[in-house]
Amino acid sequence: MKILLIEDETELSGSISEYLQKENYLCETATTYEYAIEKINLYQYDCIVVDINLPDGSGLELIRALKEQKSETGIIIISARNSLDDKITGLEIGADDYLTKPFHLPELNARIKSIIRRRSFGGSNEIIYNDLSILPDKMEVMVLGEPITLTKKEYDLLVFFLANKDRVLTREAIAEHLWGDEMDLADSFDFIYTHIKNLRKKIIEKGGADYIRTIYGMGYKFTDQ
Amino acid sequence: MKLLTRTSLSYIGVSFVVFIISALIFYNLLHQIFKHQLDETLNEEKLLIEQTINYSDSVPDFRLVFGHMIDVTILNAPQVKTGHIRDTLMYDNELGAFASFRHLFAENTSIRNKGYTINIYKPLRDTEKLIAEIVISLVLVFVSLLLLLVFVNYFITRRVWIPFYRILNNLGRYEINQPAPLEIQHTDIYEFNLLNQALEKMSKKIQFDYMNLKEFNENAAHELQTPLAIIKSKLELLVQKENLDDDQLRLIGAAFEATARMSKLNQGLLLISKIENNQFIQTEEINIAGLIDGTLEHFEEIIGHRGITVSKNYQYPVHLKMNPALAEIFITNLVSNAIKHNVNNGHIAVTLQPGSFIIANTGHVLKIDPLELFKRFRKSDNNPDSVGLGLAIVQKIATLYRLKIDYLHHDGYHTLNISFS
Repeated sequence: MKILLIEDETELSGSISEYLQKENYLCETATTYEYAIEKINLYQYDCIVVDINLPDGSGLELIRALKEQKSETGIIIISARNSLDDKITGLEIGADDYLTKPFHLPELNARIKSIIRRRSFGGSNEIIYNDLSILPDKMEVMVLGEPITLTKKEYDLLVFFLANKDRVLTREAIAEHLWGDEMDLADSFDFIYTHIKNLRKKIIEKGGADYIRTIYGMGYKFTDQ
Repeated sequence: MKLLTRTSLSYIGVSFVVFIISALIFYNLLHQIFKHQLDETLNEEKLLIEQTINYSDSVPDFRLVFGHMIDVTILNAPQVKTGHIRDTLMYDNELGAFASFRHLFAENTSIRNKGYTINIYKPLRDTEKLIAEIVISLVLVFVSLLLLLVFVNYFITRRVWIPFYRILNNLGRYEINQPAPLEIQHTDIYEFNLLNQALEKMSKKIQFDYMNLKEFNENAAHELQTPLAIIKSKLELLVQKENLDDDQLRLIGAAFEATARMSKLNQGLLLISKIENNQFIQTEEINIAGLIDGTLEHFEEIIGHRGITVSKNYQYPVHLKMNPALAEIFITNLVSNAIKHNVNNGHIAVTLQPGSFIIANTGHVLKIDPLELFKRFRKSDNNPDSVGLGLAIVQKIATLYRLKIDYLHHDGYHTLNISFS
């Protein structure tokens, strides 16, 4: 999987590529519009993560250029602006998703995965992890081939975990993933705990393994190790 | 009191005092003059009587000559020359009552070695009548003049102050956060033009400073986003490192939590400055009931987890013309506020009715003034982790769309009534 990260802030760009590299993505970075255009013209990428505000141009222009090439590349906009207009324009001209800075790395990772999955498997985009399998189109989850019933939040949580397996997910990242950034409920961590408890129970009941580890004072980790 | 009323009243008051004083002076003066004249006549008559006696050596009946009371008495011996003129009260035969008379008394008047006393009485009745008539006609003239002046003054002042009231009106309508500058209309009165110039200069300066400050706030919040994003991402990478012990994890966790709060805070401030900058232009009809239902569904698990029950009373479909993103933030903040400040096994009641919608929730009594609730960074102390911007944002959005929010606490319910016209 090849990903192009267009972000002028090198530190942020470094963090993102470091996080993504662990997912076995080949992550290339560009810090300017010029450089990004060059890369787009030369290579094919599975997904492009683009900042709207670049020192020498607009990320929106890059998306337009990409779309002119009839490229199938998935596009995620990351912007500090959180401007509704940018979001609407971005999605209208063909971006697949929009994230506002500062975002959580697992969130970006999950969104990239979701886009790549949708694009590369052409319909059949089953997520399989040991004894678990998920059909994202139908929002179905199976444990050892048997379907289990999850609430919407439990399902979202499981997909988020699977996108970031073997990673520590902070409670903040989970809360924001489940309830969005308007969520300002100080005790939302309790609900995360409840959701995780229920999710774990439902998987174990059907004979699945217990994959969720609690990381003290921090969050959770989905792992089979 | 209005300027015009005040000047008119002062004008009338001063004129009235001046009028009373001058009327008194005038009356006295007139009195003096008439008395003086009367006295001269009396003296002349006395002289005439003396001359007549001197001439004819007899005392004729002067009453026939002068037509009023004259009394000449022959004294036995020559007397010392003495005499006076003064006012006296006497029975007036013509009037049939006592009346004022001017009385000349002269004793001595030795004419041909005989002494006489001469008493001449002249009634004051006619003079007083004359004075009264003069004064009355003068008062009439004066009062009508005064009334005329007051009216003229009133209308002139009203005309003259028209630009002033226009300036006042413009000032009243002027809003600092609106891009429209203070309306300045040229007048032909020097002072008002000066005032206009001063106001124009001042409003420009204030607006400039305000914009500067706003821009600074916005830029500061905006520029903070990137470093925050970097900190957040670095911490997220750090947390992935193997072999972190519990203590290290706890430290990172605390730093992470603080960063998350700061980033929420920053987003809130950015949102507020965006609302203030009118950056949410596009609006559409928002179905409030649908939005509330959606938000309640979004928080369904949390509501269930805390044992909170929700009752809906949608008597009337409420539709508001708002920006969809702002409407969502507005309702989300109101609903999450009702959840956050609720008690376990509490209740949330949503009512939609013509002209308003109400979100009420059970909760502890506020420890701060309800009006403070809508200010930035004000929060009740039982929730130290909340950022304290939720209701400030709600208030900003409400102001933008001219919605009125009233807070009420009764029967253990915190009630927010959002009314619109």
